[in-house]
Amino acid sequence: MEQQELNDYRDQLLSSLEEHPSRTEEGRQGSLQIFVNHECVGSVDCVKGDSNYSFASRDRSVHTVELRNEAGVLVGGLCAPEAGLKNIRVPIKRGWVDIHIHNRIDGGSVRMHFENNPPWWSRLGARAAWSPFAGPHLLDRQPLVWRNFACAQIVLALGVVALLVDRVPDWLGSESRSSVLEQQLAAQEATHNQVERLQQQVAQLSEVQQTALKETQAEQQQLAHLSHLFDNVSQAQSKMAAQVVTTQEDLRSVKDSVVQEVENDVRVALTKEEENRVQVKQELLSVKSVNETLIKQVALLESKNRELHARLASTAVEVAKVASQQKSIAVARTESSKDAPSQMQVAEALREADPQAFLFWVSFQDGTSEKSIEDLFHEIKGTKKGPSNSGWYPVEVKLPKPEPPDRFLESVKRATIVKAVATSKIMPPAQ
Amino acid sequence: MRDHHTLSVKLNSVVTSENEFDELVLRSLPEFLDRATAQTKRFLRDTAQWTDDITHEKLALRWGYELVERFLICGRTEVPCRPFFLLDSLIAKSFSQPDPLCYHKELLTPVGRFLDGLASRAVVSRDALMALFYHIYGLGQANVVRLLGFGQAESQRVYKNFERWRQSGWQRTMLETGISEHDLKDLEEQQREQPERLNVEVDRLLRLLQTHYRKSEPEHYPCLTGQKWGQLFSDDYGYDYRVWHLAFCHTCFLEVADRRQDELNNAEKPRVNLHIQPLKKGGVMALFGSERGGRTHGTARTQRLSRSTS
Repeated sequence: MEQQELNDYRDQLLSSLEEHPSRTEEGRQGSLQIFVNHECVGSVDCVKGDSNYSFASRDRSVHTVELRNEAGVLVGGLCAPEAGLKNIRVPIKRGWVDIHIHNRIDGGSVRMHFENNPPWWSRLGARAAWSPFAGPHLLDRQPLVWRNFACAQIVLALGVVALLVDRVPDWLGSESRSSVLEQQLAAQEATHNQVERLQQQVAQLSEVQQTALKETQAEQQQLAHLSHLFDNVSQAQSKMAAQVVTTQEDLRSVKDSVVQEVENDVRVALTKEEENRVQVKQELLSVKSVNETLIKQVALLESKNRELHARLASTAVEVAKVASQQKSIAVARTESSKDAPSQMQVAEALREADPQAFLFWVSFQDGTSEKSIEDLFHEIKGTKKGPSNSGWYPVEVKLPKPEPPDRFLESVKRATIVKAVATSKIMPPAQ
Repeated sequence: MRDHHTLSVKLNSVVTSENEFDELVLRSLPEFLDRATAQTKRFLRDTAQWTDDITHEKLALRWGYELVERFLICGRTEVPCRPFFLLDSLIAKSFSQPDPLCYHKELLTPVGRFLDGLASRAVVSRDALMALFYHIYGLGQANVVRLLGFGQAESQRVYKNFERWRQSGWQRTMLETGISEHDLKDLEEQQREQPERLNVEVDRLLRLLQTHYRKSEPEHYPCLTGQKWGQLFSDDYGYDYRVWHLAFCHTCFLEVADRRQDELNNAEKPRVNLHIQPLKKGGVMALFGSERGGRTHGTARTQRLSRSTS
């Protein structure tokens, strides 16, 4: 039972497939639905004469194109190539559709031109002279037009001659001339009509041929334009190839020159560096010699300095002696002499020459221990004269004769624990 | 036997002209159909979608038939070619597409096959597309015109769609889908006895079908908001958008039908209401929203649907 049902279904489908060629002729011609990759992308109304449709996809290529009427019957279609062009002319009811597919890497496009069937004379002309996408064959087809035209003219001439051959003897040999004349007139008129009709047809045919010729010429021009484009493209390609070769050579030469330049630069830089190094070495040597000279000069100056110190000490002793000798004379003259300023100068000189008493004040850094202070006093052989006042300690030292107090104070200042030093001559600090 | 062998050799040989192709194909249709069916079966087996029963056999036959139909048209443009090789390549290319067949176990019931047949036909036929509004929602031609907001020229086209569908489209679809008389009687019986249950089933299956078949809709036809639908109708553009999308999108259909309730002259909201037979010329149909559903079970509100009254 089930097998029977299945067989029936299969037979029905086969019948439907068998009548497929006739099905494409049925239905309203008007509207055709266009499917690209099984998706309905639009429809075209073919009733309105020739019409065009185009579709482009940017993200995927075109695999299939199908044309279906509104009843869903598949009336035309084709499979597209993976890449490149495909042009097909598909017959539809009372017309044609030219399908152009162009697949690229980044998508595909479809262009369609729907063309209703022209009248019979136009078809005749088209069949004779126009074939879509014929390309190079167009030139071969062109003589066919003229051949058909010549044939039609010959047929027409033969028809006229045959008619004349048929009628002329009757015109000459007839006894009942009046009735024959009427027949002749009628026949002549009929012949004339036929000739006129034939002439009209010939004229129409010639028009069609003219149209076809124009189309052929247009096609030829397009072909010539295409070939010109191809030539341009090939020239551009050859130029491009030549430019590529030139560029490669340039690159190679530039690469070599750059390497040489870099090597030269490196070499120059190394040489310069070496020269600098030698120069620095020489300068170092000269600095070293200058340094040695300076050391010698310093030693010499130190020895001179020592001599000067010794001379100063001896001079101080002699001054002290002179001072002690003049002391008695000065005392004797003190009362009698009215020149007080000179006595005061002598007294001051004496006081300055006294090595016994040099009093100064010293303050210490914060946090200095008493022991450190005592150690310092011990070191400078000083005596603390009274309590400290606001951090200032009065200290008395006995300086040797040749040593000036300022130098002594400088040496005291250099001690790390000493903050400041003051003498009685300057000011008593914070008193 | 020898003839069969000779034919097989010819089908594997090169065909050099379109006439030769047509003649050979016409003589070899059973071979092509069997080959396409066998490859479809193999595909279903390989994808674990095959069961040995008549439903699956019919499904394979139907898809094989569609493949051969395409081969008949496209093959002529590939001459010179080897017919069997070309058929195999077309089948392979078709099955290499993502989700090439609408296969779902729930669509193997009579109602599922009926709806699948309608939807698959609607993808390629404007007649069937228009008829979907009637078969699924019970909208006649006049209401379809009102729902879609068509002008006079477009409405004439809708009437012609319904006419062709009535005359031959529905019959051919049933034939090519493999819905037998027995299946139709079974469906009509279900509709008589349990119309609500059947409509619920249709509502459920509709979403499965629309998910698959909306892939054939142009990519630039997305779902719109109610406001944008309103703008599309008020600005009077996108006729194809309206037809394609509303026929295949239940949600948008309800949205638009709700918004255009005034134009439909209907008090109730539209809903799924299965109709099995095509709308008859001059017949009386139930408006959608009737109590029991179905074209013979309308309630008080009815509408005359002949061309003269619409």
